[in-house]
Amino acid sequence: MLNSWSTALVGNPNTGKTSLFNSLTRSYAYVGNWTGVTVEKKVGMLRNHAAQLIDLPGIYSLQPMSRDEGVAVHYLLHDQPNVILNVVDASQLERNLFLTIQLLEYGAPTLIALNMNDVAEGRGIYIKSELLGSRLGVPVYKVNARRDQGIPALLDDLTPDGMLAKPPSTFRLDYGECVEAAIQRLEALLPAIAHIPSRWLALQYLENNNTIHEWVQQYAEIEPAVERLYEETEQHLQAAGTALHLPQHIRTVRTAYIKQIVAESLSHTAPAKPNLTDRIDNIVTNRWLGIPIFIAVMYFMFKVTFEWIGSPLSDLLDGFFGGAFTDWTSSLLDTVGASAFTHALIQEGIIAGVGGVLVFVPQIFILFLFISFVEDSGYMARVTIVMDRLMEAVGLNGKAFIPFVIGFGCSVPGIMAARTIEQPRERLVTTLLVPFMSCSARLSVYALFAGVFFEQHQAFVVLSLYLLGIVLTLILAKVFSLSFMKEEQTVFVVELPPYRMPQWRTLFRSTWEKGKGFVRKAGTFILGGSVLIWLLSYAGPDGFGVAMNESYLAKLGGVLAPLFVPLGFGTWQAGAALVTGFMAKEIVVSTMNIIYHAPDAAMLEAQIAHAFTPLTAYAFCAFVLLYVPCLATVGIIRREVASWKWTLFSMSYALVVAYLVALLIRFGGMLLGFA
Amino acid sequence: MTSHIQSPCTCKSLGHLKPGEAAYITSLARLSSAVSHRLLDLGVTIGTLVKVKRCSLLGGPLMLEANGQLFGLRKVEATLIEVDVC
Repeated sequence: MLNSWSTALVGNPNTGKTSLFNSLTRSYAYVGNWTGVTVEKKVGMLRNHAAQLIDLPGIYSLQPMSRDEGVAVHYLLHDQPNVILNVVDASQLERNLFLTIQLLEYGAPTLIALNMNDVAEGRGIYIKSELLGSRLGVPVYKVNARRDQGIPALLDDLTPDGMLAKPPSTFRLDYGECVEAAIQRLEALLPAIAHIPSRWLALQYLENNNTIHEWVQQYAEIEPAVERLYEETEQHLQAAGTALHLPQHIRTVRTAYIKQIVAESLSHTAPAKPNLTDRIDNIVTNRWLGIPIFIAVMYFMFKVTFEWIGSPLSDLLDGFFGGAFTDWTSSLLDTVGASAFTHALIQEGIIAGVGGVLVFVPQIFILFLFISFVEDSGYMARVTIVMDRLMEAVGLNGKAFIPFVIGFGCSVPGIMAARTIEQPRERLVTTLLVPFMSCSARLSVYALFAGVFFEQHQAFVVLSLYLLGIVLTLILAKVFSLSFMKEEQTVFVVELPPYRMPQWRTLFRSTWEKGKGFVRKAGTFILGGSVLIWLLSYAGPDGFGVAMNESYLAKLGGVLAPLFVPLGFGTWQAGAALVTGFMAKEIVVSTMNIIYHAPDAAMLEAQIAHAFTPLTAYAFCAFVLLYVPCLATVGIIRREVASWKWTLFSMSYALVVAYLVALLIRFGGMLLGFA
Repeated sequence: MTSHIQSPCTCKSLGHLKPGEAAYITSLARLSSAVSHRLLDLGVTIGTLVKVKRCSLLGGPLMLEANGQLFGLRKVEATLIEVDVC
């Protein structure tokens, strides 16, 4: 019973849900997928090991508008949480309680965690939590998730025993004679779902909840009767002059009730001080300074990641893999009497391939740390405002900027973040374009080439590649929106949470959540890929241990090499690296390490300096930036757009764009006099 | 047909307010249902007092405040919202 006992964490966006999750659990037990939809499901074990805590996406109501919100409703409909833990923002009590009421009507045992009391008190709002609890008929706990205040009491009551001891919720609002009659008739008509009160189903139907309407449509025999009932009730309300439509009436009843309990349980004092958020916003969202500040923030992020902190750490790690670690494994292999084959496999295949990618871990984690900081501090939401005008000009939405920024870390979470965009076409275009945002894996390729050819201007060269991706994205967004997005109305309403200093615990945890995929990939995909590539380079038509130029890898790369001649990198080595790079873009680096027999970065850099010129190196980097998204990204695009046609389109148009751009760079550069 | 006494309020569109000005919403009827749904999610509906905090360059989104909550809305949509300035 213990392990199947589940608590669902539900609340509006920006209420400190993640902070609360982190203070209630020690770590994510696992991250999986929801049934039917492909949103990440985060499950953690409570600190007292009493139950699982399931983190649902932030929602304003149970009427889903975006895919993200659909998940929560889907969960309530198809799974059965034992307990609901509803996070409520004390500074926005009235708005938060709309969701609370819908949850209470759902009937599962519910607890309310009242968070953000410090923000509320800063505004002179004080909440009598006992009174609020007694009005709603459920316990209310004042917590400060960021400071771990009030958490022990909440944890104690979240145990199965603690919850079973509480009387079941009996919350019930009276929606007036006409609607109540309709509810009763609906309850009789609608098919029963074991764990869901029929009253909740009826109410959600009357509220025009899409998910429930879709569910009713499965039952062809009852649908007409149910629909008629809906229309009759609505006509009744209109005739009586009560409301224009049913959802409005239901909302009015709830508003009246909420206003009443809020009035009872709030007390006001004078606000403490002019708030910090205002002062920061005066600067960062200033009409003139907004965009320059955003660009400066990005530049600072790259400076730190690539020059100030990331690169020195990467160099240290590289020295370790190429030096001490190689010597150490070499002597270990000698002692156990390993064959020459094993020797070569481990040193030239695995250490060169996997080590070559692992050296970029510091840079990638620093980049993710920055992105988490920007997200958690509240600045990311402002960026959508600052950038919306530009995005609107190309037919997108300021909200698409968040997936793009996350795409700098990795395309996979970037594409998943596109779910918050309400309109399907805008979401599709955003999904197709996220791969052009240069991800951290591609960074390892630039870092390698920039280190060889542009040592003095690394940050600038890398930034220019990022900008190349951004500019192309904007151009293509315009093309796409003109060609297949004409009819759709866009929605741009963004909540701007108050600025908060992100908590280190949350930052580190989300950085790790984002970055661990990279480390895991190094241990699985890249390990396997490196072994395979090494074998292909070790074996040839004439047997094993052939010269590199006679290997299968050389043959494979050689087939493609002529295609790349116009781009200036028509060598079999480049061809082989690009083919294998489809598995994961950092494999381009692994492959080069293996091909050039380079145990460490210094050796590799020397080899590369022979094979490329600065101009072809830049064209190669641009090609790596743009050509086909990696395998993992193609997988997530397929799942998100649910269409092979669009998935294949995303791969092929990228390849065409990459080729054209690299060609343009090479010939443009030659015209400008770069050799 | 006005039942109330002559009020000092004037009807305007939210998009025409200047930064620092505040007004009560009187109609959201001209908005698309998706936008008004989102506004409702934020607790913004008829009768809500909305303050314009900031405008962006070139007709970009407005930064608004209602019930102590900041949010962004495009100028085009703000222009469709009718308000009463008091």
